[in-house]
Amino acid sequence: MAVSMERFVLPGESLDAEYLPSHPTLPLKLGPGLRHIPPNTITPTVAGQLCSDKRKNAVWVEFNGGRYIPTVGDLVIATINRPSPEFYYASLSDYAPQATLPNLSFEGASRKTRPQLQPGALVYARVSLANKHMDPELECVSSSTGKSDGLGPLNGGMLFTISLGMARRLMLPRPAEQGRVVVLDEFGAAGVSFEIAVGRNGKLWVDSTSLKTTLAIGKAIQETDLKGLNPEEQKKLARKSMKDF
Amino acid sequence: MPRETAPSLNEKLFFQKALEENLRIDGRAFDQFRALELEFGDEYGVADVRLGKTRIHTHISAQVTAPLPEKPFDGLFTLTTELSPMASPAFEVSRPTPTELLLSRLLEKTIRRSQALDTESLCLLAGQKVWAVRADVHVLSHDGNLVDAASIAVIAALQHFRRPDVSVEGESVVVFGLEEREPVPLSMLHFPLCVTFSFYDLGGGAGEEEGEMRVLIDATSSEEMLRDGGCTVGMNRHGEVCQIAKLGGVPVDAVVLLNCIAVAGQKVREISDFVKGRLESDRKKRDKGGWMEELRAENDRVS
Repeated sequence: MAVSMERFVLPGESLDAEYLPSHPTLPLKLGPGLRHIPPNTITPTVAGQLCSDKRKNAVWVEFNGGRYIPTVGDLVIATINRPSPEFYYASLSDYAPQATLPNLSFEGASRKTRPQLQPGALVYARVSLANKHMDPELECVSSSTGKSDGLGPLNGGMLFTISLGMARRLMLPRPAEQGRVVVLDEFGAAGVSFEIAVGRNGKLWVDSTSLKTTLAIGKAIQETDLKGLNPEEQKKLARKSMKDF
Repeated sequence: MPRETAPSLNEKLFFQKALEENLRIDGRAFDQFRALELEFGDEYGVADVRLGKTRIHTHISAQVTAPLPEKPFDGLFTLTTELSPMASPAFEVSRPTPTELLLSRLLEKTIRRSQALDTESLCLLAGQKVWAVRADVHVLSHDGNLVDAASIAVIAALQHFRRPDVSVEGESVVVFGLEEREPVPLSMLHFPLCVTFSFYDLGGGAGEEEGEMRVLIDATSSEEMLRDGGCTVGMNRHGEVCQIAKLGGVPVDAVVLLNCIAVAGQKVREISDFVKGRLESDRKKRDKGGWMEELRAENDRVS
């Protein structure tokens, strides 16, 4: 694995060059939690684990922050607040500015065939515009291919709140190895069928055939998140909650 | 301006379906409280109550003042509640929300107006000097059922509080420090607590039909947001009802309400016993083994 987690950093401290990756051709990429102060100072803006990827020449800080700050390309679960002629107003997190979701940014949507969403409906969307001084904008369709790629309204199921760090761990390419979350694999291996959507804004949507399964899966993830369970404990938790249904 | 949180449609429907199957989102039984924790501070009259994620800190203080002219023989007892943005972003400074008004009003009705604290015993010199006891209720974290948690906190803190001893000779009153004389507990007449019920109307039952109502106790904040009506019963462990507050919401059958009161009585007894146990263990912790032990000049230093 090319990613290395080297040290714990605090906001404002100065980073030595030895902690930053160097690459003969690629420029250095700064990820979330780092700030470049010209000419050549790099300081963390949050407390967390400094991670770097030598192959991509990238460096960032892994942190478990409380407030979601929209970033372009993030997959989020938004709640529709109210419609307007052009947009749906949706909220990504409570007590934060509303995001706008254009009526036509759904797969195959035209003026006549756009989906009608009720206030309170959930959508799985991608952040297409995020700016410090503007309300974020969402889309449910890929602007280049015109396909939805699994984005769109979420029907049924239940929404659970998880920490932003947990959402990030669940969305890693290989959550079991990289994020040490095995509880979902354990449910899947036992033949429990369920559907899941993870939003980077700390939301988890779960649906399955029975209420008990949905609740058990949602609560297992929440418990893993809250108590910081290791893979062994997660397996035990999954087996215990599967006894109930 | 902060925007009020509203549960999504999916959550509403799921919650309703779960209630139909007699399930609660956090897996509790319908008549089950969350884990209750009670801790006392180093000072007298400081209580910290945790009910799940709801956390309430109460501080009792007393000082000598002049009584009200119309009640020269009664001491003063005031309850102040404070909901700061720390508890939940829904609360703003200096803008009282209905939640805050309801909390202070229900505590006032349950504890102050039911004469839980014997105010006549707080009189020092008739018409001139009385004790003014003040209970400050701080909500540190809001996850539903503030009223029940706050009533437990106030009652526990009042029982834990010790006021300085006084001696009255003629017109002069001497207040002794806590080191000079053993402080005295407040005289309490009874210990009322609140139990809040949330009603959920599942519909379908037309007219006289019944059984389509679900009653939950100790609702979390998301359950409180979805409820169709609520009812707070204040009563003491002897089953004496101090107040019932049902402010709007769905109409509830009299039998259901009577059943609620029976459940409340049982819960109040359980919680009273819990508070009593905690007070006893706190007393044991403070008791150093009598005067001789306390007056010892030796240090506990480890050589």
